[in-house]
Amino acid sequence: MKDVLLLAYRDIKERKARTSLTLLGIAVGIAAVIALMSVGYGFEKSVTGELVEMADLIMILPGKASLGGDYVELGSFNERDLKDIERISGVKEAVAMASSMEEVEYRGEKTVVDIIGIEPREISAVFGDIVKTEEGRGLRENDHKTCQIGHSIAKDYFDEEIEVNDRIKIGGSKFRVVGILEKQGGFKSGIDSEIFVTSGDAKGILGNDDVSQITVRVRNIEEAEEIADKIEERIDENHKLDDFTNAMTMGSAIEQLKTVFALLRAVLIAIASISLIVASIGIMNTMLMSVMERTHEVGIMKAIGAKNRNVLSLFLMESGMVSMVGGVLGCVLGVIGANVVSFVIGAAFGEGISAIVRAEVLLGGIAVAVLVGVLSGLYPARKASKMSPVEAVRYE
Amino acid sequence: MIRAENLSKVYRMGKIEVPALRDVNLEIEKDEFLAIVGSSGSGKSTLLNMLGCLDKPTSGAVFIDDVNTASLSENELAEIRREKIGFIFQQFNLIHSLNALENVSLPMFFAGVGRDERMKRAAELLAKVGLEKRMHHKPSELSGGQQQRVAIARALSNNPEIIIGDEPTGNVDSETGNAIMDILKGLNSEGRTVIVVTHDAEIAAHAHRVKRMKDGRLLEQ
Ligand SMILES: Nc1ncnc2c1ncn2[C@@H]1O[C@H](COP(=O)(O)OP(=O)(O)O)[C@@H](O)[C@H]1O
Ligand SMILES: [Mg+2]
Repeated sequence: MKDVLLLAYRDIKERKARTSLTLLGIAVGIAAVIALMSVGYGFEKSVTGELVEMADLIMILPGKASLGGDYVELGSFNERDLKDIERISGVKEAVAMASSMEEVEYRGEKTVVDIIGIEPREISAVFGDIVKTEEGRGLRENDHKTCQIGHSIAKDYFDEEIEVNDRIKIGGSKFRVVGILEKQGGFKSGIDSEIFVTSGDAKGILGNDDVSQITVRVRNIEEAEEIADKIEERIDENHKLDDFTNAMTMGSAIEQLKTVFALLRAVLIAIASISLIVASIGIMNTMLMSVMERTHEVGIMKAIGAKNRNVLSLFLMESGMVSMVGGVLGCVLGVIGANVVSFVIGAAFGEGISAIVRAEVLLGGIAVAVLVGVLSGLYPARKASKMSPVEAVRYE
Repeated sequence: MIRAENLSKVYRMGKIEVPALRDVNLEIEKDEFLAIVGSSGSGKSTLLNMLGCLDKPTSGAVFIDDVNTASLSENELAEIRREKIGFIFQQFNLIHSLNALENVSLPMFFAGVGRDERMKRAAELLAKVGLEKRMHHKPSELSGGQQQRVAIARALSNNPEIIIGDEPTGNVDSETGNAIMDILKGLNSEGRTVIVVTHDAEIAAHAHRVKRMKDGRLLEQ
């Protein structure tokens, strides 16, 4: 084994330029696959990572909801729905939210903003860890005509930035800003453009006590799907409609996203594979030339007693070695490439994504390289092994 | 030891048929030193290739130790070439990327002999042909005569009973040629069958028996 390696190595060394080009071909192919996969994993993690901390939440909306936020609204929930949901076992907290687009005025400037009414007691139970207050304080039970505002509302919506304790007008009545939320971005960027008031104040603004969304936090993430089903059943029953509501667990949203990412990765790999196919043609070509140039040598080997399989393994070893080195080089280039690509994406979109290089991807890359090398070396190697000794020795 | 029966070989070059061997019968005893002479193109190499199991006859058969080689598979023929026959070429035919030691050990490598044993035996064989100081030289760093000695050492590496030389002295000066013939004579006196092709009468004089070839036929001497 060691000697075949040595022999193959000598032959590779003699054909440095051509071999290094072949090697580079393989390396680029493998690097492309590794870079794309690593960037893909990094992207996936940065997207799903945000959602993972919300995995124990169930969003309940009337109508068919989808992740994008477009849903056909069929109606609204009521006090009884909330009570029923709270009674379902495994539900830790349930918070009802009323929402409505209202005119907001600050220092004479007017705009329309989504106003969310929510029970202060419940808000911290459900969102406490996720949405933090940057300045001021949260809403309190006995607050009256007070609001907490999203980060963008404070900084971007009006010419002048809103500060804690400033007054704004919502739907014509005056409210005091008690707190400004931290910037959320990503999937929770909606919150940045919302204003939160107590349920009591919301009733006053909206003129009714309709509930437009209920969010549930479960005790045990494993039970989330089951609880979501129970919630849908119970509320559909309350409203005597089949598909009145849609309860979506964050877990299932994450699963959906993962499927999307897996698909995306598959597409990227398919594209990168084209470069591997090209590389494999390169190896085959190099090996065919090498076999031809060494016809005389093969003849000598066979004349002194080499069996077909001795010759075969020699050539396979050669292509295997070239492609293995190519694979290792590809890993190095791939890791560099992944970091460069994620840096460029980060610079272009302002969202820092760090590529995730997985050991199994690297090992897989090397394995694929060797496999491609051996498979493309097979035909030339067989050709060499089948040569007739006299004819091959005569060849100069 | 080796027996050729009604051996014929016809080369086909497109539509033209070149009869290179015509009905050759030959029996070579163990311990014999046979020289085959004849002008260029008379079929000497063709005959040696058949005897050395490098090529197959168009008709007739070669028996080695009473085994009909026509009945053997490619692998079995390779084994005969590896174990029973040492072939020496006019052009030496060493592998240029390997040094003398590695060239000599190559047939042992194909036979699956372990590395240490291979290297030890290769060094002994090179010493035997007087190249103990040239073991790590590449063929390109050796003279023609030295290369041919490496080739002889290689032919001996699996200790074959038969040594076949196709004009082994054809590419070296006459002094070196005589030295090589002395080595071959020595191998013969060790009990090996030696068959040598040459067109040099002086060289042929070393042999026990000389056969002449003409137009693919073997003439009685
Ligand atoms: N592979 C081949 N294809 C066609 N003709 C060949 C081949 N090898 C040898 N011959 C022909 O066969 C005849 C005998 O050749 P060869 O055995 O090499 O003669 P020698 O070794 O005595 O010089 C010559 O006429 C030669 O041209
Ligand atoms: Mg000849």
